[in-house]
Amino acid sequence: MAQGITPLAPGLTSFLKSLKSTPADPSVEHLISLLKRRQIRNSRPCAIATTALMLRVVGEFKGRDAAKLVERIRQVGRRLTAAQPREVVVGNIVRRVLGLVREVLDDNTGGDSYAGSDAGHNTPSQHDSMTRPTLHSSISTFSPLRHAATELMDASMTSDMSDSSELSRRPPLLTSHTSYAPTSSAPLVNSLFGLFSQPADSNASTPTGQASPDGKTAQSLNLERLADLSRSSNIDLKGEVMDGIRELQDELDQSDEQIASVALEHIHSNEIILTHTASTTVQKFLLSAAKKRKFTVVHAETYPHDNAATHGILLTGRKRETRLDEDEDPWKPLTSVGIPVYVIPDSHVFAIMSRVNKVILATHTVLANGGLVAAAGAHMIAKAAKEHQTPVVVLSGVYKLSPVYPFDIDELIEYGDAGMVVPYEDGEFVDKVDVEHPLYDYVPADLVDLYITNLGGHAPSYLYRIVADHYRTEDITL
Amino acid sequence: MSEPVVAEAAAPPTVSAEAPGNPPTPAKKDSKDTKPAEDGAPKKLSGAELKKLKQAEKQAKRAQAKAAGPPTVQQGGPSKENQKKKEQKQPQQKDDNSRPLPVRRRPSQSNVVPQLQTKKDSKRSQKELGLFFGHLYSQPRQHSMVGASKDAHPAVLALGLQYSSYAICGSTARMVAMLLAFKAVIESYQTPPGTSLARHLTNHHLSPQIDYLRSCRPLSISMGNAIRWLKDIIIKIDPSTPEAEAKRDLAEEIDMFIRERVTAAQKLIRDQALTKILPGDVILTYASSSIVEQTLLQAHKAGVPFTVIVVDSKPLFEGKTLARKLANQGINVRYYLITGASHAVKDASKVFLGAHAMMSNGRLYSRVGTALVSMLARAHSLPVIVLCESVKFTEKVALDSIVGNEVAPADEILSETERSALLPLEPHLPPTHPAKTKDDDKTAAEGTKFGSLDVLKWIEGSENLHHLQVLYDVTPAEYINMVITEYGSLPPSSVPVVHRLSTNT
Repeated sequence: MAQGITPLAPGLTSFLKSLKSTPADPSVEHLISLLKRRQIRNSRPCAIATTALMLRVVGEFKGRDAAKLVERIRQVGRRLTAAQPREVVVGNIVRRVLGLVREVLDDNTGGDSYAGSDAGHNTPSQHDSMTRPTLHSSISTFSPLRHAATELMDASMTSDMSDSSELSRRPPLLTSHTSYAPTSSAPLVNSLFGLFSQPADSNASTPTGQASPDGKTAQSLNLERLADLSRSSNIDLKGEVMDGIRELQDELDQSDEQIASVALEHIHSNEIILTHTASTTVQKFLLSAAKKRKFTVVHAETYPHDNAATHGILLTGRKRETRLDEDEDPWKPLTSVGIPVYVIPDSHVFAIMSRVNKVILATHTVLANGGLVAAAGAHMIAKAAKEHQTPVVVLSGVYKLSPVYPFDIDELIEYGDAGMVVPYEDGEFVDKVDVEHPLYDYVPADLVDLYITNLGGHAPSYLYRIVADHYRTEDITL
Repeated sequence: MSEPVVAEAAAPPTVSAEAPGNPPTPAKKDSKDTKPAEDGAPKKLSGAELKKLKQAEKQAKRAQAKAAGPPTVQQGGPSKENQKKKEQKQPQQKDDNSRPLPVRRRPSQSNVVPQLQTKKDSKRSQKELGLFFGHLYSQPRQHSMVGASKDAHPAVLALGLQYSSYAICGSTARMVAMLLAFKAVIESYQTPPGTSLARHLTNHHLSPQIDYLRSCRPLSISMGNAIRWLKDIIIKIDPSTPEAEAKRDLAEEIDMFIRERVTAAQKLIRDQALTKILPGDVILTYASSSIVEQTLLQAHKAGVPFTVIVVDSKPLFEGKTLARKLANQGINVRYYLITGASHAVKDASKVFLGAHAMMSNGRLYSRVGTALVSMLARAHSLPVIVLCESVKFTEKVALDSIVGNEVAPADEILSETERSALLPLEPHLPPTHPAKTKDDDKTAAEGTKFGSLDVLKWIEGSENLHHLQVLYDVTPAEYINMVITEYGSLPPSSVPVVHRLSTNT
């Protein structure tokens, strides 16, 4: 975190600046090294950097071959996620961009069946989500984290192969969903998700005739479609995808405001609200509610990894890292609009909880099962809230929503500098005692009552649907 | 065991002699404030300027008088010195004391205590605690012996300072130290003519001591129990017994009480808890408890292979001391802060907790954060075992941690290093911030140098920002599987029964 303070230090700002003048490939390397060195960290900076890079990559892409573009994006995405598997947002953005490419493709070749959808995903209609091929349960076996390393090798091995070989590598995945095979063909590992989506699908999709209307196999159809596209020169594939990416950038910019705009629906007057860590999303949400209502905020300081930022955000109203690029949008700390804020050490959460009406959590990543990864301490806060029957509300932009399933939670948890827990000056102690410093907590879905995203409020059990709206099955594994 | 403590408690009279030399400090501070006015005045003073200067001086004097007014204001010097003295003494004490008193210090205590703020603070803290803990006492904690009742015995004065600086912390340690100090008080007591020891001692001699201790830090439950017991036996003394004999009896009784209710009880609890530690166990404990520490050390000596996870929290970091002691004995220790507690419980197999007190409704009143740890442990189906001497049982009941608690000074939340970490924020403070406008004058006078105290001023300056800190929380009885006392292992629901047993016999 400390790296982001001075404008000269490598970080998001320096990356965005250099991106303007550097071509795509060195920029990819640049971002990879920044991610590896943790000089860009946390969801929003990662998302902004990845989107900007994607815009560059697509912009520099030569040729009209859609399959090649898809492969190029995937290749970049694989390398980025391998560089920092725990910043799941990077993978999310790459998948979104891949989805954009496929969308453009579908719009131009598949024609009418996708008439209802537009390039931007901001407003998925009901119709859209029902006809779109849903995720099937096989995603559960792919965790980008676990396979990131092996897939990188994979990528390097296949990178010299032609497109057709790449396509032939994919068919099993494609056939299983585009053909709407009966449940028997689905893998045996049926998640709850799969159980729900399967029947809904067969009802909705059969009449629309999306599945191979002319009797061709899905694979050949897909191949033909790609080939069609590359032949027909009248589509501006690149332009449309870039437009889509720009919309994605807008979404990143606006998600906080969109989330904040519903604040009044969730906060009533004289409430006592507990939150933790320094989160711009939460602060803006509370600020927006503060315009109309009076309430009290209790803020757990998240010692030791985020306490400086927490105190900072309360004193000055902004995180230090985001300061540089958000200068044109000044906002005040919560305290200056007359909201009393009580800072408590994290150990006080249970003691205070009996007075708290609502818990609002910020998040690092939301997972497809409705669970979330958030700053350490979030689990005990959510648990204590559950014990006191206090509702837990999680604020998250859709970009943080990931199609990853938390089969191995420990994979998602990052451990930080033990020196922040016990300073290294205390050599004897550090030497003899194992000091551990987890940065994130996994909060299971059943501890969360409500998710508020830039699309509105959702129950945790509904999140899989939003995942299906935003990511294509083909892209779940990069 | 009692010797070193008494020696230590008796030592500080030298400190009290130094105390009167202290007051210049606030005066110095004030003169700094008036400096801009003096600097602003050129060498040749016109009449109007001279007037202004005089006025400024007068104001400064008035402010000084105000600051020096309440005795609680001057708190920096003596407690600091005292602490230093103690630090020198501590290593030695550790060596020859079979049951060392836990030594914990306020990590946040800065080198310069913000003396001018104290008065403002007391007013403000009342306001800022209003929402949650406004019903609790809010007078600032006594950090010095200035203004203490003249009846207070030197041993008690020293003890009070050790309480307020957390040098003696933990309810058993505080109780034992108090009883030993009272022993010294009784020894040097002489019954005034015309009264009897039984009548005079409790009401007129012991009460001021207790009041002073209370002003340093609210009494712990165990201390309350011990005081009740002590008063009881003093009253029961036959007025016809000669004074010397009565005093000797009392001293013996106190020693006996400590031996029976603390030393022997701890041994019984230790032996019983020992049987709960099985080879391969991972024992999780929160903060620091002397009895848990003894149990773990004993188990290690007995050769049981086990590891320990210590979960700790700011600002006292008591667990650090425990972890260090255990690690020095060769036990495999892992150390987490409370934010990582949900990771820590995953690997644990049993939870051992110390207690500040056991409530009559079976709830555990202990260091704040204990409830979180036991909640998480229960969610993981780990047995939660509380080790608690029956002297800490109380007939009080509590449902939540808010009704009864001990408020700690809020400025302890930010340690010195944390404050300095916040210093770079200065340019980003909102322009409306009162501290900002104030700072502007100061920067003109002092240049752009900020100390860690400024951070506290910012926090105080921002009108709606409050720091809040309490010391205890209440753990629901359903999180606790077993309470081990010297009477045996019980479910928490048996606490009131044991309390009756232990007070009636």
